[in-house]
Amino acid sequence: MANVNVVINGIAGSVPAGTTVLEAARQLHVDIPTLCDHPAIQPIGACRMCLVEIEKQRTLQPACTFPVSEGIVVKTDTPATMNARRFVLQLLFSERNHFCMFCQMSGSCELQTQAYKHGLDSWRYDRAFPVLPLDATRQYFIMDHNRCILCRRCIRACDQLVGNATLGLKHRGANTMIIADMDVPFGESSCISCGTCLQVCPTGALIDRASAYLGATAEVKRVKSTCTHCSIGCGTELVMRDDRVIRIEGDWTAEPNHGLICEMGRFQPLNDKRAPVTKPMVKEADGWHETSLQAALERVATNLKTGKVTTVVSGLATNEAAQIIAKRFPGAKQLMEGQAPAVTSSPLKDMDAADLFIVVNTDVAHEYPVASFAIKRSVHLRGARLYLVGDTGDSMQPWTSRSIQEAQIDALLPIIEGAQNPVIICGKKGEALAMKIAKVVTGIKIVDLAPAGNTMGLVQAGIRQQFSANGFDTCYILAAEAQDAPQELLEACAQAKFTAVQASYKQPWMDIAQVILPTPVSHLKCGTFVNFEGKTGVVNAAAACNANGEAQVLEQLANLL
Amino acid sequence: MTKVLPDPAKRAMLLTALYIAQEQYGSLTPDALERVSARLGISPAQVYETATFYSMFRTQPAGRYVLQVCEGLSCYLADGAENLAAYIQNKLHICPGETTTDGLFTLQMVQCLASCSSSPAMRVNDTLYENLTADRVDMLLDELRGG
Ligand code: SF4
Ligand code: SF4
Ligand code: FES
Ligand code: FES
Repeated sequence: MANVNVVINGIAGSVPAGTTVLEAARQLHVDIPTLCDHPAIQPIGACRMCLVEIEKQRTLQPACTFPVSEGIVVKTDTPATMNARRFVLQLLFSERNHFCMFCQMSGSCELQTQAYKHGLDSWRYDRAFPVLPLDATRQYFIMDHNRCILCRRCIRACDQLVGNATLGLKHRGANTMIIADMDVPFGESSCISCGTCLQVCPTGALIDRASAYLGATAEVKRVKSTCTHCSIGCGTELVMRDDRVIRIEGDWTAEPNHGLICEMGRFQPLNDKRAPVTKPMVKEADGWHETSLQAALERVATNLKTGKVTTVVSGLATNEAAQIIAKRFPGAKQLMEGQAPAVTSSPLKDMDAADLFIVVNTDVAHEYPVASFAIKRSVHLRGARLYLVGDTGDSMQPWTSRSIQEAQIDALLPIIEGAQNPVIICGKKGEALAMKIAKVVTGIKIVDLAPAGNTMGLVQAGIRQQFSANGFDTCYILAAEAQDAPQELLEACAQAKFTAVQASYKQPWMDIAQVILPTPVSHLKCGTFVNFEGKTGVVNAAAACNANGEAQVLEQLANLL
Repeated sequence: MTKVLPDPAKRAMLLTALYIAQEQYGSLTPDALERVSARLGISPAQVYETATFYSMFRTQPAGRYVLQVCEGLSCYLADGAENLAAYIQNKLHICPGETTTDGLFTLQMVQCLASCSSSPAMRVNDTLYENLTADRVDMLLDELRGG
């Protein structure tokens, strides 16, 4: 679009027509205070914090929704705008309960920050002070209506980014409240606990149980990392107090997820109740004992040197660990969760241009939630269609045009051919059918997701074989945090002469191994992962890559071989 | 096969759909709202939001006649809103939002009925009554009771 000339606070600039005054001001480095606006979601002009003076406009206008036009002259810091903002803040503070000293957001709250900036040191109006309910029915976070300023960021994020549209409002005026579905408790609603609403809430209304009161903005540091729980490899920010991760958020600047992450990436890592492996352990005649790393490694090395070895690596392990195994371990090297996609996948961003989705034999909502968000928002906001083929779970039903069996696929072909931008979403189980469709429908895109977070990295390191239960008597398993070990792996290794497992959690490994070595959980790892698009993500650097790191332990072990 | 529509188109149909549902169900019960939600492909929260925003939609069952007394500015200044409402309250022994025990009348206070020039105004179901006085209210209620 053509550029137009703007003048903001006397600073001249040129920005694309249609840019909002707020965006234009940011480009010219002029700060306009906001509350309801959030860069990732559509502005609605709900809070009136951003009011500015615009020449030829009779009244003050909200900068977040007002589009610039040629020759527009804006002033953001006049007595009138300041008074208007103070008035807005006074009203917000008198409406519900904003006694900051008891609020866990104090120090990180956008409302509080604006109040300080605008010199609010007393209440000008009587406080309405309604006592509103607190909804603590969700596992990971709480909604305290008393702190809510009805900016609707949460509603818009759930609607426009996640496509879940769980949230809404009820009633109007002073009685307005945030609700889930038809005003049911949040924990009983269609909410999928992705926490996107929590991440965008500017006040203390949405409260993360795990990190509440553990540190305000000034006391924490933020470290960019990558989620390893599925092969999308979402960019994250680890919020850290001292050396502890207190909260995980989505990184707004990251491809492919643009700030979104799911329950697995945001909450589960900090809520994992499984018993962790903290020290190297060996099994003696009288049971399990903790031991030194050196002693444990020596025992493993002796067995690896003499046995007929197979090493099985989980896709939750880092590239650095995989490379050491591939290059320096004896015997066969195999993939725990299955092979990498046979198709060169289209990137996730292609999904936001699709008008037809075909999900094949994949429970996308559970296996690759962030990909399911792209489907949901496309169906919900753009009117794209979704077809489910084969075994796909039932979580996508509300967004689905039709579910069919694999055998009925021919009936779907004309519909796919009629679409502008069809995209198939599959994993290993749907790949064959996806390729069959692609043969008929030329130019169709396939988003082929790998079975585990770093399957692509393992394959690049040279670990390519599917696990097979035969041909070994000694077993090394780099399990990392793997939850569902294949039954045949457990059975085969239980039969083996010797099994060592490098894992973050004790079970099910204590039942089959003779030695267990620790390895950090995903958000404390250091190293790199390769996502399904083939892009490399850096994991953490949260903990120093010390001698107990995943690759570091393997390095020491390899030195003994 | 249902046609999937983009959000703005669906939302544009929502008011009409709710209006029809209210006529069919008497009030916007959870069943009625869920049906609208499924039929239009709009999320339950968004349907509920609209249903509770407008005073002409009701989510609670109401009496056979819903008396919507205007409390907009013109009616207020015309000495109507308060007096008229108080008169009906005393006569029927119900507060705004309540229904008479015989299930006949529900009283509701609403915003401007777009009848300011002939205020005070009241809507009874789909019929508008203007220039109301105590006598006219008496007559009207008797008539409704009889009919
Ligand atoms: S809960 Fe938070 S994000 Fe949602 S409307 Fe209230 S203040 Fe805004
Ligand atoms: S957690 Fe996710 S699905 Fe649930 S209400 Fe928030 S944004 Fe919507
Ligand atoms: S930030 Fe512009 S109205 Fe809220
Ligand atoms: S104010 Fe009552 S009809 Fe307009």
